[in-house]
Amino acid sequence: MFNKLLISARAIALGVALSIASLPAAADSVSDAKLEEMQKKLDQSMKMIEALGARVKELEGHASNGPAAAGAAPAPNPQRLEAVEQKVAQIETANATRQSDDSGLPIHGFADVNVGNHNLYFPYAKGTNVGSLDFYLAPKLGDRVVSLAELIFETGPDGHVGTDLERFQIGYQFNDQATVWVGRFHTPYGYVNTALHHGVWLADALRRPKFVNFEDKGGVMPAHTTGVWVTGAQREGDGKFLYDFYVGNGQQIQGGTLDMQTGGNLHGAAIAGTRLSYQFIGGAVDGLLVGVNGFTDKVNDDNATNPALIRLNMVGAYAVYDTDTWEHIIEAYSFHDKSLNGSPGTHRSEAWFAQFGYRASWGVPYIRYERAMLDQSDPYFSEQTFGASYYRSALGVRFDINAKSSIKFEVAHTRNTDDRPATDYRPSDAEIGLPQQFNEILAQYAVRF
Amino acid sequence: MLLAAWCPAEDRRGSVSLGELPQGWQDDRARDLALAGLRGHRVVLTMAYAACHRLCPATMDEFKRMQRVVDARGEIVDFVIVGYDPRNDSPSVWHQYRLSRGLNRENWHFLSGSQTATEQLAHQLGFPFWTYDEHVMHESRAVIFDANGVQRAVLGSQNSRWFDAL
Repeated sequence: MFNKLLISARAIALGVALSIASLPAAADSVSDAKLEEMQKKLDQSMKMIEALGARVKELEGHASNGPAAAGAAPAPNPQRLEAVEQKVAQIETANATRQSDDSGLPIHGFADVNVGNHNLYFPYAKGTNVGSLDFYLAPKLGDRVVSLAELIFETGPDGHVGTDLERFQIGYQFNDQATVWVGRFHTPYGYVNTALHHGVWLADALRRPKFVNFEDKGGVMPAHTTGVWVTGAQREGDGKFLYDFYVGNGQQIQGGTLDMQTGGNLHGAAIAGTRLSYQFIGGAVDGLLVGVNGFTDKVNDDNATNPALIRLNMVGAYAVYDTDTWEHIIEAYSFHDKSLNGSPGTHRSEAWFAQFGYRASWGVPYIRYERAMLDQSDPYFSEQTFGASYYRSALGVRFDINAKSSIKFEVAHTRNTDDRPATDYRPSDAEIGLPQQFNEILAQYAVRF
Repeated sequence: MLLAAWCPAEDRRGSVSLGELPQGWQDDRARDLALAGLRGHRVVLTMAYAACHRLCPATMDEFKRMQRVVDARGEIVDFVIVGYDPRNDSPSVWHQYRLSRGLNRENWHFLSGSQTATEQLAHQLGFPFWTYDEHVMHESRAVIFDANGVQRAVLGSQNSRWFDAL
C-alpha cells in the first residue's frame, strides 16, 4: 500500500516536470512573471513530494516491525472484547434492518368474504358475496413525515367490483401532541369511524352499524373528508386528553350516495369539525373513553343549476369501554339541518347505537341495537338511497381461527320505518328492492395479511 | 434437545443471545435495564402492546401459567415483555397495565425503548409486526433464553401449552 502511494507521488512529480518541459513551445506567449510563478509552484510541489516520500518510508518501517510491536501489546480484556463483539453484532443487525427497510414497501392488508340470506350491506342481494380486498400501505418517509394509503377493491351497490383509494394521507408529526394530516381521511367523529377502519378483521362485530357505515355501503354520515386534520394527545392525570380539528371539502350527494369530493369542491362548500375525548388509564375505569364531537357541513347535490342543498349541523357524544374482557360502544348523534335550496325550515334527526361485547377465551359474543330517526323532509336524508329511518337489533359472535383469520356470525332484524316514494333524485325503496323489514343470517370469513 | 424441538428450523437460523440484542430499555418504573444483565437464570421474552385486547392478554395468561410451573419447581425465571408501540407504551402506561392486571412480580419486566431499538429487537428475534393506525398487527410468540443468555426455544400459536417448553 505504501509502495503504491510512493509510486503515485513520483508519477505526480513526473507529470509536473513534463508540463514544465513543454513550456518552451508556448514561451513566446507567456510572460516572465508567470514563468517565475510557475517555477515557485514547482519548487513547492517537489518539497511536498520529498516530504511525502520520507513519511512513506517511515510508515513502511513501522509496518515491517508490526508483528514485534503486536507481540509487545498487552493482552486484550475479555469483557471489553465481548462488549465490542456485541456492539459489532448490533451494528450488523441494524445495517441489515436498514437494508431490508430500503428494499421495498411491505404490503399488508385485510380481506373478507361473506355468505348470507342477504348481502350484509345491500339487502336486495343474496347469497355469497365478496367483501373487500384492502391493501394498506404506510411508507416510512423519515422520523416526522408520516403517510398512509388504503387502497380497496370492493363490491359496490351495483354488484360490480370497484377500486377506491379510501384513505390517502400525508402528514407531519411535530410531536406526540400534534400531527397534521393532509389528504383524504376518516372523519373524526364518534369511535367506530376512526378506530375500526376498512379492515373488517379488526372489528369484533361482523359489520359497522348501518348509519355509521361508509358512504358506499349504506352509511348516511360523511365517513370520509378530503382536507386538513390536526390531531394529538396529551397525558393529563390518570389518563389522556385527545383532540381533533379538521376542515375540508363539503360533501355532495351524487346519485343517492354521499361523496367526499376527493378531487376538490366546485362550489366552495366546506366541512369543519372537532372531536374532544378523554381516555382513562388505570384505576377503576381503566379502558373507558368518552368524547364529544360536532361538525358543520355545507352539502351540495348534483343539481348543476342550484347545487346548494343543506347546512348539515351535527353534535354527538360517545363512550367506549374497551378492556381485555369487555368491548362496549355507544354513539349518539343529533342533526339540526337547515335547507339552502329555498325549501323552508330546519330539520331535526337523531341516530344512535349501543353495542355490548364480551371477550371470552373461546370467542367474542356481542349484541347491538341501532336506531335512526331521520327526517324525510330533510333533503340530506331523503336524497340518499339508504337514508330511511330504521331500527336494527343484532346478535353475533366472533371466533378467531388463528392470529390472522376469524369467522363471524350474525343474526339481525331490520325494519325501515319510513315509507319512501320515488323522488327526482332516486327511485323508491320498493323499486330498488329494499325490503321494509327483513331478517338476516350472515357469516363472514375475514383475514389480515 | 427437547427444547430444540419447540423451535422451527427457520427460527433457529436467526438464533441470538441476549447480549446481541439492543440494551437500552426502561422498565415500568423508568429504571434503565440492559437485557444482557438478566443472565444467571432463564429468560422468557415476548413483545406486546398495552392497548391490545386480543392476542396479548392470551400471552399474559400463558406467562402466568409458566410462572406457576417455575414457582412449583422453585426456579427463578425472568419474564420480559417488550412494547411494540413505544409512542404509546411509555413506562407509566406499562405501570398502569401491571397494576390493573395484577402482574406485580418483580421478575416480570415491562420494557419501553426507542422505535429503532424496538424494531431491531423484533427483527433479530423474529417478531413480525406492522401498525394499522393505532393498532399493532402481530403474532403470538415468545423466545426462551437459557441462563447464559443464549436463545434456546421459540414458542408460538402452534404450541398449545407454552409451559411445556420450560
